[in-house]
Amino acid sequence: MMPLIQARAISKRYKIGQNFPTLRSALSSFRKPQPDKYHWAVKDVSFELHAGDAMGIIGPNGAGKTTILKILSHVVRPTHGDLKINGRFSALIELGAGFHQDLTGRENIFLNGAILGMSRAEIKARFDQIVDFAGIGEYLDTPVKRYSSGMYARLGFAVAAHVDPQVLLVDEVLAVGDYAFQMKCYARMDQLRARGTALIFVSHNFEAVRRVCNRGLVMYRGEPIYQGSASEAVVAYSTAIRQSARAQHSALPTEDGLSQQVMTFDAEIQNVKLLDAAGQTISAIQSGAPAIIAIEACFHKNVSQPVFSLNIRTPDGRLVYDTTTRWLDVPTPDFTAHERCRVDFAIQMPLLDGEYQIDVDIADAGFSHYYDRLESALGFWVKGDTRAKGLVDLNAQATITRLAPEGK
Amino acid sequence: MQGRMNLQRGIYFELLQAWTRRIIQARYQQSLLGGLWAIIQPGAQALMFSIVFTQAIRVDTGNIPYLLFSYVAMVPWSFFAGSLTDMVGSQVDNLNLVTKIYFPREILPMAGLLARLLDFAIAMGLFVLLALFFHLPLFSLAWIYLPVILTIQVMLALGIGLIGAALNVFYRDIKHLLALGLQLWLYASPVIYPVSVVPERLRAFYFLNPMAGIIESYRAVLLNGNAPEPYLILAGLIALGTLLVGYWFFKRVEFQFADVI
Repeated sequence: MMPLIQARAISKRYKIGQNFPTLRSALSSFRKPQPDKYHWAVKDVSFELHAGDAMGIIGPNGAGKTTILKILSHVVRPTHGDLKINGRFSALIELGAGFHQDLTGRENIFLNGAILGMSRAEIKARFDQIVDFAGIGEYLDTPVKRYSSGMYARLGFAVAAHVDPQVLLVDEVLAVGDYAFQMKCYARMDQLRARGTALIFVSHNFEAVRRVCNRGLVMYRGEPIYQGSASEAVVAYSTAIRQSARAQHSALPTEDGLSQQVMTFDAEIQNVKLLDAAGQTISAIQSGAPAIIAIEACFHKNVSQPVFSLNIRTPDGRLVYDTTTRWLDVPTPDFTAHERCRVDFAIQMPLLDGEYQIDVDIADAGFSHYYDRLESALGFWVKGDTRAKGLVDLNAQATITRLAPEGK
Repeated sequence: MQGRMNLQRGIYFELLQAWTRRIIQARYQQSLLGGLWAIIQPGAQALMFSIVFTQAIRVDTGNIPYLLFSYVAMVPWSFFAGSLTDMVGSQVDNLNLVTKIYFPREILPMAGLLARLLDFAIAMGLFVLLALFFHLPLFSLAWIYLPVILTIQVMLALGIGLIGAALNVFYRDIKHLLALGLQLWLYASPVIYPVSVVPERLRAFYFLNPMAGIIESYRAVLLNGNAPEPYLILAGLIALGTLLVGYWFFKRVEFQFADVI
């Protein structure tokens, strides 16, 4: 079958320096030509996507993620490389790009729909669906400048998701919506995929990538450093970030806080272990048995009241449990450079049979950045005697009582 | 493939409509007078020049009242100047769109022009009222030339607008240059004075300005009920050439817009 997207060795180069020269500098550069400096925003990216594929692109700021989307959506032209997109595409690089502040929600639906390539008749046919999805019913005839940012985002996604594209490109856009809306968006993306839409999803949010995508592409400083399954890509990215942080031993550029997955490496996770009641390291545990997840960390700088967190997930990325010392109301002391510590999370393993993975991280007291973060730090097995299926053993007790027959 | 191309073209035509509607809706949103501004702007200018050129310095406009004489020229001039200003800013003003979504970029200047066309139509409506008030014979057969003159003006404006819009992406000076140029151009065109004040020996040269031919043609048709003079053909050729060059230039550099804007 013909792939919907074929990208072969795509590269994009930008000139460094002034964005747009003034006439004066253009004229003066005739006299003394200066060598141009270039920066490769994207270098040598190749992939193919078929109907129903969803590829997550992850990487830190400036890794070239959005540039790839802009190339795919024909907004910018690649410097080198070949790109083929077969079929109608819809790109969502920013929610509500093209909305006019003074126009009402209704007017903007038609305007934005037209910008995204829908005919007026198509928009009319889907109008109710869009309004329903966005949940803005009573504000339909209010100018969008009076909308909350959440409503604005919902309307933006609703329009783009109803273009019924064969290829849907989604940039980091779901961060704004509330939880319920995000779930709705994921469901819509799943639905589109099931119908044969190929999806490209750019996100800083590992959870979202694992939830939405089956494939992953890790970008780092413009270059693709890993391609594979979504869960593998998340691990590869996390490893790359750790290595780079270790090498530089300094902060990566931090912009948007925690969601950027930036690590300062002021603290380092040295070891994560699963222990049984006797304190022995184990890799498999009986369902219902007591266990301790022990994290050993050292500090490279003075760190004030760090927050330790623990995630447990299934191998396909579903979150089972997520907690932090903060949420558990456990105060953490200040640490000085070269100190070490161990944090124990004691649990009664309530999980059912299966394989699970543990992610741990250390974040600063204000949750503004990570000191260190380890994806898939440890994998373990749970063995149970119960024949119940699912994730959690709820210890159901079944009883049966005879009832009098109905209607005498 | 051909079918898909046609489909695409149809959708882009709808986008042009939608974008034009948006400009018009947005322009008159939260404004008290709304569409009346289309009349007030050229009307006030014509009125001001009327006072100057009938009370202070006398200009001979034959048996046509000066107010009507200048209004009939000021309306197409306002359309020309206004549409050029909107077109030249069209890419930069919509930076948010240009850097995020692909569509043929010429839709933005074209929509700017079309939106100004509405103002032009409204202002022309007032001309009819003025002509009735001044007992001017209306609706002569010569009006069949109006679409021709309008088409020539639109071609000229679109050609310059496309070049200006593209250049303005690279050099923001263009916007200022245009404002200055339009001021000078107004005086180089027979908007507030009759062509009769231009010395005979300079006339041929004078009509190399296509706006001179266009404005004079509006006057000939609307005020005197005459067919336009042959200089409209010259204006038409220049306008066509400008449009072709403008479109070619615009499409040639369009792909760089999102990179440099």
